[in-house]
Amino acid sequence: MNNVARDLREMLHEQWEYRELLTQMTIRDLVVRYKQSVMGFGWAIFMPLMNTLIFSVVFTRVTTIETSTPYPVFAYTGLLFWNYFSSSLRFAANSLASNATLVQKIYFPREIFPFSAILVCLADLVVGASVLVLMMIYYRIAITPAILLLPVLLLIQTVLTAGISLLLAMANLFLRDVKYLLEMVLSLWMFATSVVYPMDQVGGNLGMVLKLNPMTPIIEGFRSVILLGKVPPVGPLAVASALAIAALGIGWVVFHRAEYKFAEFA
Amino acid sequence: MSTGSLVFDGVWKKFNRGQRFDSIRDLVPAMVSSLTRRANASGLEQKEFWALQNVSFEVKAGEALGIIGPNGAGKSTALKVLTRLLRPDRGRSVVQGRVGALVEIAAGFHPDLTGRENVFMQGAIMGMKRAEIQRKFDDIVDFAGVGEFIDTPIKRYSSGMNARLGFAVAAHLEPDVLIIDEVLSVGDLSFQEKCYERMQQFVRSGIAVVFVSHNLSAISALCDRVLVLRQGQVQTLAPTQEAITVYAGMVQEAKVAEVGRHEVNVQALDADGSPITEVRGGAPITVRVSAYPPPDGRHFYAELQVRHLESGTVIYRCQSRAVGSEPLTLSPGEGLEAAWSIRANLGRGHYGLSCAILNDRHRWVAVSAPTLLTVNERESENALVYLDATCESRVLAPHEAAVTA
Repeated sequence: MNNVARDLREMLHEQWEYRELLTQMTIRDLVVRYKQSVMGFGWAIFMPLMNTLIFSVVFTRVTTIETSTPYPVFAYTGLLFWNYFSSSLRFAANSLASNATLVQKIYFPREIFPFSAILVCLADLVVGASVLVLMMIYYRIAITPAILLLPVLLLIQTVLTAGISLLLAMANLFLRDVKYLLEMVLSLWMFATSVVYPMDQVGGNLGMVLKLNPMTPIIEGFRSVILLGKVPPVGPLAVASALAIAALGIGWVVFHRAEYKFAEFA
Repeated sequence: MSTGSLVFDGVWKKFNRGQRFDSIRDLVPAMVSSLTRRANASGLEQKEFWALQNVSFEVKAGEALGIIGPNGAGKSTALKVLTRLLRPDRGRSVVQGRVGALVEIAAGFHPDLTGRENVFMQGAIMGMKRAEIQRKFDDIVDFAGVGEFIDTPIKRYSSGMNARLGFAVAAHLEPDVLIIDEVLSVGDLSFQEKCYERMQQFVRSGIAVVFVSHNLSAISALCDRVLVLRQGQVQTLAPTQEAITVYAGMVQEAKVAEVGRHEVNVQALDADGSPITEVRGGAPITVRVSAYPPPDGRHFYAELQVRHLESGTVIYRCQSRAVGSEPLTLSPGEGLEAAWSIRANLGRGHYGLSCAILNDRHRWVAVSAPTLLTVNERESENALVYLDATCESRVLAPHEAAVTA
């Protein structure tokens, strides 16, 4: 236990020491992406918007489902925050492997790579949120003081993402198959989460399993505070938070302890 | 005075020579076989080898240690352990103070970013604070000499500009411990000189420095002590001149093994005819070669070669027939002896004397291993040759020079 405490102190101290590198690395990735693609940040809007369009056709024309708010804004909110989660994991999983030269040649805390990958996706989220605001104006959805809980939800999601990201980045460095495996897991996971349809109707054993998925209460939480203006139920969110903290704690300590092997494997 | 220091205490590091397993397809069989395999007595599994074996040294503030050795001796591994990139399998490496590493000075550069953006990125990677980079920014650009290109994406830079910018960032670190890996080879001559000067400033500023290089003259100018590595082991750890002599000896041995022919015997002799390995610059010496060449031809002559070991350059070559000694006709079983009289007009340093025997068709039929000759005590320490000049000076009357010009 003492070892873990010492590791934690060391990890946090290092992150603090190198905090400017984290900013710098995030800026680098943003600037590079902006310079390399014609659409730049446009992709951050285009992707969830495209998906919203597809699912809107499916769930309003092909078949209909009941949602608390107009379907497009329901789906866009889900996709926006799910995208933050899934693209963070994708980007972070590859972050060590794609920066192999740096990993091999210069020492600094390697957590910087997955962390900056998440921050880049957070910037995308902010850009994508502008469309959500426009949609809310269009559908005349008013915000209430419940919106103040948004940062808390964002924190829970980011902590969860960070924990999984650290494990994925490390795993993908040791075994390059991980990123393909991740794609499979992500598409499964998305359909097991209330991204484009509500999950509360699923009962039975499957329903029990699905309740363990921390992403459902998080995404439902976002809808609740943004679209419904209501405080989300605390129980499932508390479970999700506990899972998120556990993921980050375990992910980070494992990452930190394996870190010295990275230069040999990159 | 800085407080940086570093200690390498009985460091062992092993590597795997074989294939790495980085996909699931390879991993499963590897795991199965690792269950059935045991490490042998040396602590190594199959295909593993020690890149460093029990290496120890210590560098205090104000000291500069050089590390030299042939390729594969473990120099880079030692640096990677020092910079915390690798963790030793046994022993420990303790570095105190802020570490600056002149290793891969452009590793953080991204081709799509401008010079300016990359300076901030690389600075942050090397552990500088943004405000610090901001403060030194103009100096960095100045040092790199990239001037108006600073806002151009560096993919448009020449490789020289790229390296210069990288070194410029590194040169503005304020470390307590500096680790340098063979970076002098960037840029043109004048930039190399600038790097070299900067490194000397670092050494003089009283920090702890470790310098890995193949450039023996840079090593002897910068370092107080030198560690010679060979196959991962410490061959010697001694004051610079002594260590370089050991290293030169190693190089010589390696040459013998490589050529595999030692029928040719080369000796340097002083004015009295006694063999020497050291000479004062400018002194007369005799280089004597004796050989029993294989019966591949009838006429034979010798060629002398003097190589400056620090730089690896052949600085002098002389065939016996070019200085008035005709090729000799040898019957089978007969040998040849030749003696060159030379004035050792050489700068301080280490030289390899070697001889080849050539036949009628001007082919080499036998080669000697180089014999080491150390030249010391010369006024012009950093130059290669001593041109034996004389000089007179006088006072110029006002405007006199302008008239003659």
